[in-house]
Amino acid sequence: MHEYVLPFGPQHPALLEPLHIKLKVEGETIVGSDISLGYNHKGIEKSFENRWWAKGMYLSERVCGICGHFHTSTFAQGIENMLGLEVPERANYIRVLIGELERIHSHMLALGVVAYEMGLDTLFHYIFRDRELVMDLQELLTGNRVHFCMNVIGGVRKDINMENTRRVEENLEKIEERCHHYIKLFKNDATVKRRTQHVGFLSKQKAKELTPVGPNIRASGMDYDVRETGYFAYKYMNFKPITGEGGDVLERCVVRFKECIDSVRMVRKCLLEMPKGKVKVNVPPVVKIKEGLETVSRTEAPRGELIYYLKSAGDKPYRVKIRTPTYQTFHILGHILNGYEIPDVPVIIASIDPCISCADRMTVVDAGTNNERIVTMKEARERRK
Amino acid sequence: MIEILFQMLVFPGLAAAFAIGFLYQGIERKVSAHAHHRIGPPVWQPFMDWVKLMSKENIKPKHGIGFLMTLCPIISFASLLTVILFIPIGNFVLFSFTGSLFVVIYFLVMYSVFYAFAGFASGNPFGYVGGIREIMQIVSYEFPFIVSLLTIGFLTNFRVVPFLSLEFPFALFAFLAGVLGKLCLPPFHIPEAEQEIVAGHLTEYSGPRLAMFGLAKAIGFWVLVSLGAVYFLGASSLISFFAHSLLILAVLIIIRTLFARLRISQAFRLYWFVIGPLAVIDLVRVIVGFY
Repeated sequence: MHEYVLPFGPQHPALLEPLHIKLKVEGETIVGSDISLGYNHKGIEKSFENRWWAKGMYLSERVCGICGHFHTSTFAQGIENMLGLEVPERANYIRVLIGELERIHSHMLALGVVAYEMGLDTLFHYIFRDRELVMDLQELLTGNRVHFCMNVIGGVRKDINMENTRRVEENLEKIEERCHHYIKLFKNDATVKRRTQHVGFLSKQKAKELTPVGPNIRASGMDYDVRETGYFAYKYMNFKPITGEGGDVLERCVVRFKECIDSVRMVRKCLLEMPKGKVKVNVPPVVKIKEGLETVSRTEAPRGELIYYLKSAGDKPYRVKIRTPTYQTFHILGHILNGYEIPDVPVIIASIDPCISCADRMTVVDAGTNNERIVTMKEARERRK
Repeated sequence: MIEILFQMLVFPGLAAAFAIGFLYQGIERKVSAHAHHRIGPPVWQPFMDWVKLMSKENIKPKHGIGFLMTLCPIISFASLLTVILFIPIGNFVLFSFTGSLFVVIYFLVMYSVFYAFAGFASGNPFGYVGGIREIMQIVSYEFPFIVSLLTIGFLTNFRVVPFLSLEFPFALFAFLAGVLGKLCLPPFHIPEAEQEIVAGHLTEYSGPRLAMFGLAKAIGFWVLVSLGAVYFLGASSLISFFAHSLLILAVLIIIRTLFARLRISQAFRLYWFVIGPLAVIDLVRVIVGFY
C-alpha cells in the first residue's frame, strides 16, 4: 500500500502543547514515527543560575502549571539537604497532603483528556466536573486553585485552614465514589473498552528496557514508586505502589484512578494524624550554601519520578538540572505507536500523560540539511547575534 | 405553478430546510451540552456561524482544486434539497410516484460522495485521510441503510409515503444507525475526528465554501429526520410530523452523548456484521410475507 507521512503537530487539536510527530502511515496503520521536540523551550534551568535560592522557589513552581507543588517540594528538599535543615513534622505532613491533592487533580486532568481524545465528550466533561471538587479543596486549604506556593525553604509558607474539615471530608468522599465509578466504567463500557483495551501495549520486558516512569511503568507491572522510600511524611502512610498487569491504555487509566483513590486515603490519614506544632524553621532570606556542594533530590510527581540536581555557587545555584518525568517517558512513544491506527495515536499520547513544556529542551536544526545537533552555550549565544 | 414554487422555495423546500435544519442542529448542540453538564451555545448558534462564514473571504489553498472545492459543497447541498421534495410532509409533496424511493437513495448517496470528494479536492493530507475515511464509511453504512429503506419500500411500492414500521424494529434501528453515519454524529464522527485528523475533509475549507457545507449538513438533519418521521414513524399530519421528528432527534442526541468514537475498522465491522444482518432479517420477513 502507498506509504505517506502524516504530520501530527506541532499545532494539532489533539495536542495541548506543541510536539511534532511525523507519522509514517500505510492506509490507516502506523509503520513508523519520528518525534521531535524543541518548540516550547523556556530556558528555566539557566534562569535559576542568576537567582537567589529563595527566589528560585518561585521559578520552580512555574516549571509546570499542573504539578508545581512537586517541583518546589523537590527543589526545597534539595536545598534543605544541602543546608542540613530538619523540617518540622507538621510541614512534612502538609507537603504530603497538598501533593496528594495535586496528584488527584493532575490524574483527573489526564484521564479527562484521554476521554476527550477518544471522542467521548460526555466522559471528558464529567471527569472535569469532578476534578472541580479537588480544585475547591485546594483553594479551601491553601487559598489558591493552582500554584499554591506552599513550600518555602525549611517548611511551608502557612498552616492549612483546618476549620472546614467537614467540607473536605464530603468532597473526598465524592471523589472516591466517582473514581470507583469511573474504574467500573472504563472496564465495562463497550466503546471505551474497544478504544483502550490492547491499545498502546507496553510489555513488562519492554518497560524494563525503556524505563518510563510513573503510572506508565506501574501499569506494565513494575512496582517502581519513589514514595516507597518514605521521604517527607510518606514513611507514616503505609504506602504500597499500585501496579497493573495490562500495560495498555486501559490499564494506565485504571492505575491512575486507583492512585487517586489511594491519594484520598493518604489525605484523610494526613488530616487525622497531623501533629501540632511549627510549620517552618526560620532561615535567612538570602540562604548561603557552601560553594561546590551538590545534591540530588527526587520525589514522585503525578507523572513519575522527578529529579533535581543542584550544585551550589554560594547564595545562588551554580547549576540546576531538572529531569521531569515526561522527559523519561517520551521515547516509549516510538515503541507503543507502531502497528496501531491513526485513531489510536491521540489516545496513546494522552495515556502517557505528557507534559511537554516541562520536558522540552532546546534542539538546533540545520535548515539546509535538516540535521539536529547539540550546540554549546557559547555557540548558541553567537548564533543569536 | 405558485404552489410548486412555494413548495420548492418555502415549505418544505429551501426556506424551511434552512430554518428548521439549523434549528435542529442548534437543538442537538444545546441538548447534548446539557447532557455534558455545560450550558452550551444558544439554539441559533449554527445559523450565526453560517452568517459569519458567508461574510468571510473565499480562500483557495495552494494545492487545492478551486473549481472542485466550490462544486462539492454546492452539489451536496443541492442534492439534499432535492430529496426533501420527495418526502410527503402533511399535504406538501411535490413528487410522488412509484419508485421515488430510489431517487431519494440516489441523492442521499450523492451528498455523501461529494462530501468525500471535497477532501480529495483540497489537496491536504488530513483532507486526504478524511476523504478515505468518508468513502470507507459510505461503504459501511449504506448497506444497512439501504436495506432498511428497501424493507419499507417493498410494502409501499418503493414510493415515499407515510408508513408506520413498528413491526420492523430492526429496519428502524438500521435506519437510525445509517443516519448517524451519514450525518457524522458520534460514535461515527470518524471522517471529521478533530483529535486525529483536525477536521478531516473540511480541513482546508473556510469562508463561504465551509458555510455551504455547514448548510448542507443542517439540511441533512432536516431531510433525514423528516424521512424517519414519515417513512418509519408514519407521520401524516403536520403536527404528528413535528412530534415524530423531535422524537427521532431525541434518540439521535441520546446515542450521540453515550458513545466514544469508533475506529473506522470497528465501524465497518459493526455495520456489516451486526447492524446489516439485523436489517436483512426484516427484509427477508417482508419478502417471504412473514409479518
